[in-house]
Amino acid sequence: MRKYWEIAKTYMKAQMVWRADVIFNMIFTISKILFAYLLWGIIFRQKSTVGLFTFHGMLSYYIVSSFLSQLEMADGISGEIHARIRNGSFSKYMVIPVGIEKYFMAMELGVVLFYLAFDFLAAAVWVVIFRVRFVFTTDCRILLCAVVMAVLGMVFMVQLNYLLGLLTLKYQGIGTFLMIKNNLAALVTGTIVPLALFPEIIVNAMRLLPFYYVTYLPSMLLTGMLREEALRGLLILCFWCGAIQVSINVIWKKYSRKYDGVGI
Amino acid sequence: MSKNIKKNMRVLKTLLSLRFHGMTVFRLDFFGPFFVDGSLFLIQLLAFGAVYANVDSIGSWGRGEMILYIGSFSLINALNMTIYFFGVNGIPGKVKSGELDLYLSKPVSPLFRLTFENITPGSIPLILMSICIIGYGIGISDIELTVVGTGAFIFWILLMTILHYDMEVLIRSVSLYLVTMARMEQIEEAGLGLCMTLPGIAFYGVYKVIFYLILPYGIMATLPVQSMIGELEPGMAAYGMGVVLFFSVLTGVVWKKGLRHYNSASS
Repeated sequence: MRKYWEIAKTYMKAQMVWRADVIFNMIFTISKILFAYLLWGIIFRQKSTVGLFTFHGMLSYYIVSSFLSQLEMADGISGEIHARIRNGSFSKYMVIPVGIEKYFMAMELGVVLFYLAFDFLAAAVWVVIFRVRFVFTTDCRILLCAVVMAVLGMVFMVQLNYLLGLLTLKYQGIGTFLMIKNNLAALVTGTIVPLALFPEIIVNAMRLLPFYYVTYLPSMLLTGMLREEALRGLLILCFWCGAIQVSINVIWKKYSRKYDGVGI
Repeated sequence: MSKNIKKNMRVLKTLLSLRFHGMTVFRLDFFGPFFVDGSLFLIQLLAFGAVYANVDSIGSWGRGEMILYIGSFSLINALNMTIYFFGVNGIPGKVKSGELDLYLSKPVSPLFRLTFENITPGSIPLILMSICIIGYGIGISDIELTVVGTGAFIFWILLMTILHYDMEVLIRSVSLYLVTMARMEQIEEAGLGLCMTLPGIAFYGVYKVIFYLILPYGIMATLPVQSMIGELEPGMAAYGMGVVLFFSVLTGVVWKKGLRHYNSASS
């Protein structure tokens, strides 16, 4: 475990090199909040509630959801693996005495720990600037469930991106697919609009998928909604983390020998 | 003048032929832009479908007007992706590496070549998809199509495509003055991302100043839709044309002055 903690610390320190990036990443979280503020501001002039939400409940949801989605930076992993397999430099990860997947987990941990305080600060600033009467759960058990679910959600996204990156071993050019995946993820994780606004049948189908529990359900739990889904959500997400790990092991076993270290 | 146009047409034909040769190398990527941007706008349709399942209107716009808005932005984006995006997007890299030298030494306008050297036929289906979305929006909002109305809509789409081009070149011309311009691209991405999903009618006060004047992405699809549904007032139409004229002149000046700042590979 110690070597992985060292990797996490290295990546934490590495973020300090790009200090301007950290500041600008914080500032640009405003675009999601501004979208919510203007869109829902105009809608809530005509109605006092939409679905489960009041205006301030909706803005609280977007602030929490934006905070969580900003922390989730795993999509770079698939891009990194894809690029390195294509140019033949994936060997970098094969020759070091660590598990490759665990290396990426540690990397994600380091980056998340570094950004945690900054993203929290950004969320607090937007609450003040947009004068949001912030809605937050007061139930400690729900809070704990939401935090565990958010962490599991990040683990799942690292696994998913690792798996997609490994598919380069078989399909070579998956860059387009990765971009489509990013577009889709924004919808199914509820960062564009809360999933509760979709028809019941679609929401029920999404409940079976892991993406529902990555950003959307933790955000709903943290803003005091859908408490009854907390435990079931944790179980479903654990199942998906296990299932995707099996897929990773199968894919790695089957295709890792195809890597020739030369590149395309 | 006509001699110049003929020469540019010949250059354009050659660039197109070179582009097709280049694309045969990476055949899998041919329809990449279509799938990526197509999925983006389809997801927006789904997202706003969910919103409209819970509300009747956003401001004065119903579901049909919003679909028309998404289709219009998609069409402007499709023209951008097909004609000039992949050429213009390479400007900062070429400035940084000094590759712009090759463009300056050729007997054709560097900006003309940069604009048209990466035409992407794989994005043409995106244009067709956008037209389908627009047709769907027109059908839902029960708009009566007239020749004048359709002509005005096409006029505004083309005008706003020029504005989009101006903004892209303007932002990337900053690389001729500064060592890095990653922040400018971040601003562009954030502004475009916001205005793709939020129609101009939602802006007010300082937000309107920002997205109607400073980063005029807010008017790009709003004015074509307003012209189609008969909401476009003469004052706003004049303002829209003025903004395009202003940014075209500004882009020309910034680009030309920027070339004087260009110091080859040491830029």
